[in-house]
Parts: sequence; C-alpha cells; structure tokens
Amino acid sequence: MSYIRFENIVKNFGKNEVLKNINLEIEKGQLVTLLGPSGCGKSTLLRCLAGLENVTSGRVYLDGRDITDVNPRDRDIGMVFQQYSLFPNMTVEQNVAFGLKMKKTDKAVIKKRVADILDVVGLSDKIKHYPSQLSGGQQQRAALARAIITQPKVLLLDEPLSAIDALLRHSLQIEIRRIQKEMDITAIFVTHDQDEAMVMSDVIHLMHDGIIEQSDSPTMMYTQPSTKFAATFIGHYNILSAADFKKATDVSLDCDDVAFRPELVMIRDKPFEEEGYDMYFTGEIEVRLPHGNILRYAIDCNGVQIDVDVLFKKARLFPDGAKVYLAMKKADCIEL
Amino acid sequence: MKKKNVGAVLAIAVILVYLLLPLAVSIIYSLFSNWTQVIPRGFTVENYVELFTNPDFLASLGRTLVLCIFPIICTIVIVLLALFVTTIFFPKLEKYVQVICMIPYTIQGVILSVSILSVYINNPTFLSERLVMLFGAYCVIILPYIYQGIRNGMRAVNMPMLLEAAEMLGASRLYAFFRVIVPNILSAIIVSSLLAVGIIFGDYVLVRNLAGSSFPNVQIFLYQTMKSDSMKASAVFVVIMAMTFLIAAIVLFLKSRDGHERSKRKVKE
Repeated sequence: MSYIRFENIVKNFGKNEVLKNINLEIEKGQLVTLLGPSGCGKSTLLRCLAGLENVTSGRVYLDGRDITDVNPRDRDIGMVFQQYSLFPNMTVEQNVAFGLKMKKTDKAVIKKRVADILDVVGLSDKIKHYPSQLSGGQQQRAALARAIITQPKVLLLDEPLSAIDALLRHSLQIEIRRIQKEMDITAIFVTHDQDEAMVMSDVIHLMHDGIIEQSDSPTMMYTQPSTKFAATFIGHYNILSAADFKKATDVSLDCDDVAFRPELVMIRDKPFEEEGYDMYFTGEIEVRLPHGNILRYAIDCNGVQIDVDVLFKKARLFPDGAKVYLAMKKADCIEL
Repeated sequence: MKKKNVGAVLAIAVILVYLLLPLAVSIIYSLFSNWTQVIPRGFTVENYVELFTNPDFLASLGRTLVLCIFPIICTIVIVLLALFVTTIFFPKLEKYVQVICMIPYTIQGVILSVSILSVYINNPTFLSERLVMLFGAYCVIILPYIYQGIRNGMRAVNMPMLLEAAEMLGASRLYAFFRVIVPNILSAIIVSSLLAVGIIFGDYVLVRNLAGSSFPNVQIFLYQTMKSDSMKASAVFVVIMAMTFLIAAIVLFLKSRDGHERSKRKVKE
C-alpha cells in the first residue's frame, strides 16, 4: 500500500466543486509536485491533507492510518506556506524550535537540533535574527527548517518560492531538492510553474479544473502529454487541429488535434537536401522572440501560425518576413 | 518650497501655543502667591508640597490609577477573546461584534450613569456595589477605542496564516493566539489602552454619579479643591496632566524600544 493515499476526495466551497473525485497515491521518500494553473484545486488538495480544510467526502490515508478526521496538529505533517508565515515576534531560533517546544522536547535537545537544522539550511549565522531582518529567501529557508525539524511524516510546500525573484528561486529549488533527498523526506510541492515542477519532482501530477489530468515523471510529462491541456501547459507545444495541420504541412492525420514541440521543427533558409524527414513545408517569419538561450520564431505557414525554437546563435538569425523551409518527423507529432 | 515650510512651521507653532497655553498658565498660576500686580510675585512651590503631603490627594490619585487599570485589562481580555472566537470560528458574526462595540460612542455619560443606576441600584446584588458599577461603566465607555485598536492591529498581521502555521507545528489555536498573535498586536493594544487611560483620567460625570463621595478620585478631588482654593486646583490640574504625559511617555518608550529591536536591519546580508 502506498504511503499517502487520497480516496475519492470531493471538496465543495458552497456550490463550487473545487475537487472532483480525486484519487491519488504517493510513495514514500518521493518529491511529488501538484502542478496546475491557479484555481485548479492543487492548494486545496494539499490543505485537505494538512487538515486545514475538511473534505466534503472521501478519505485521506497517511502511513496506513486514516487521518481524514484527525486534527491538523496531530497529523504529524510539516508545512511551508507561500510567505511571511514565520512568527514575527520570535527569532529564527524560537521559530524553528516552536514545533519541538510543542512536543515538550528537552531544552538541551532542542538547542542542538535547532543548530543542526539551521546548519542544513545555511542559516547558522542568523539564529538570533527576527524574520523582518531576513531576506525573502532566508525567511523561506527558516520556514523550511521549522517545518522539518520535528521530522514529520510528510512535508507540504504550498508555492513556497512564488514570491521570490527568479535567480534566487532557482537556487532554492535545487537546495530544497538536495535537503529532501539528504534527509529522505516525503514531500508534496504545489506550484503553477512547470519549469519548477520539471526541475524538482520525481512525479508530477498535473491538475486542471478539480481533476488530475496526468500523472507522470517529468520526462514523460514533457515528451508524452496525454491530453490537450497537458500539451498546452507543459513545454509550449504547438497544438493544431487536424485541418490546420493539413493546411500547414500538407499531411493528413486521423485525429482531432496534433501537438508537436517547437524545438523539433527544423528550419533552413534554403530547401532541405537530405532525406530522413517525413514532411517538408515552407513558411514566412512573422516575429522572433528571444527566450534566454533559445530563440522562438512565430512562423506563418499557409495561414496557420506555428512556433519554432532554435538555439540562440547569431549565424541562424532570420529577418522578419523571410521565407524559410521547414521539416519535421511524423514520430514527433502527438495525436490527441 | 521653502516658503511652504515656513507656513507649515508657523501653523504648527500656533496650534502648539493654543494647546499648551492653558497648561503653561496653570503652571505659572500655581507657582506664585501674589497676583495683585501685572507681574506675579512670591514664587512658591508650597502648593505642590502641600499636595504631595496630603494623604487625601495621594489616595485619590491611587484610586484613579486603580480605576484605569482594572477596566482596561478587563476590556482588553474580553475584546481579544471575542475577536479570537469570531475570527476563527464565526467570521460572519464579526460585523455584529463591531456594531455592539461601536454603540458606546453614542452614549452620553449622564445617560449611561443614570441608566446604570436605575437598573442596578434597586437589586442589591454585588452588581449594585457602587465600585462594581463604576468599573463596568468604564469598561463600556472605553470599549470602542479598545476594539478599534485591536481590530486594526489584527488586520495588519496575516492572522489566519500565522495560526495555521502554528497549528501545523502542534499548537492549539488558543495557545497560538496568545503566544503568536497577541505579541504581534501588542503595540496596537498599548496604543488603545493609552487612549482609554486618557478617557478615564478625564472622566468626572461617571465617577460622580456612580461612586460619588464613596470613591473620590482625582477629578472629584480637583472639583472639591476648586471650590476652596483656585491656586491649589491649578496645581492639581498640572499634576494630573503630568501623570497622563508620564504614562504616555513610558508606554511609547516601551513600544519604540520593542519596535526598534525587531526592525533594525542587518547592514550586510
């Protein structure tokens, strides 16, 4: 039996059905991400596990025990919130020690464990600081330390990095992942950022509109989206109806929609000479958008717009309005 | 720009003079014994010496302090508990609490005291003790100020999230409320109690109607002195003002020290 199990979870807020019969199993020691746009129910599902929301119907199991009706404080779950959840009137040390104090742990033991855990999160020199004296990233490290010091059965992270700037966010993602592996913590991470989910997770559960759209490893999620929504949300897929696809590439596929990733379309300024591709077509550059190390061209192919990504190298720059030759393999097209 | 500043300074100066003039005149008046010429003569601190050696005065001052402390503590505890319950369990009831807490704004002291008397005086329970009635009346009078202060303080902290965080760490809600929320709204509580101190120090109507001669506080003492000796009355007035300033200064000092400690930022991150 799995470590955490959601069984037929339904949650209503008034007439609004936020979770529609969710069934989900999570294995011990994994970092699992609930990914989805805002309002999809991912935070609500997390809060149902924490006990901060009551489920309308269904059962929640943790480590073989039915915790559906257990008080949040007796569930043995640690949680990190979006931001500012540190107690402003206490120092970092007092904040981190709070959970152990509630468990009436011996004072000397508390002192040692606080020092150890602050060492792990890299805040040893901030032990006597108040939260207002810390940066956003430091505050979230302290919150993480506070949540894991009691060695909870599962750690919940509710968009902990959403208020932190991009550069720092990236290093914290890696650090959270390191700590999670190092201490062998089972963790559930909620985010709306698919890159964050890709970097951190063992398994991604993609949520949409109160249901789970797809559960897969990051690689599978990226290469094999199983629904149109999954393809839209992950990896900037081009999604065309079969009719548009035929119009652009002159190839007929027997399905509703076709999805293909922008980086799998080859682009040249003169006709392809080599074999090996299944479809060859042409288009006209509408606009180009730099995205860090890739350059995205929006290309008009016979009235249908598709995106094509190339690595950002100066030699490959096509001017706006240029005629280009495109090629693609059938195997790279996902039929939805 | 500079002209504007001068105007502002001038306005503030005028207001300051207007506010401080009565106090200054009272101080001067209480310090001289001979007022027959344009310039007063006969500088003396006798009025003050007499006051501070007068056991009646000291007792009245003590009574006023007691009158401040108990109703304020009572009201703070009641408001805190009420807001705790409404915020966490019955958020919908909060607007009714607000209405109830605002009603005393509209009640005049005379009406309040007469009403209280007519309700309780004929039913000899402990509630009809004059002192109990007075304490109760003060609790009611200061309720709007304390309520508003605490409510605003609570709005400034993210109370639901802090309580949830504490709860996930194994604290009961009540413990979390008093250990986490209350310390964070302490400055709001202090400021509102300061307002309440000012109100109770300045009250004459309630204490006269409800307690009368059985519990003469400074205001009663001031009134009685005024009838016999105006110079001494000025001295009493000055002492009352000084006491109020002192309390305010102490409280503000404590608050600023507390705030300073928490908000001082480390130079290098």
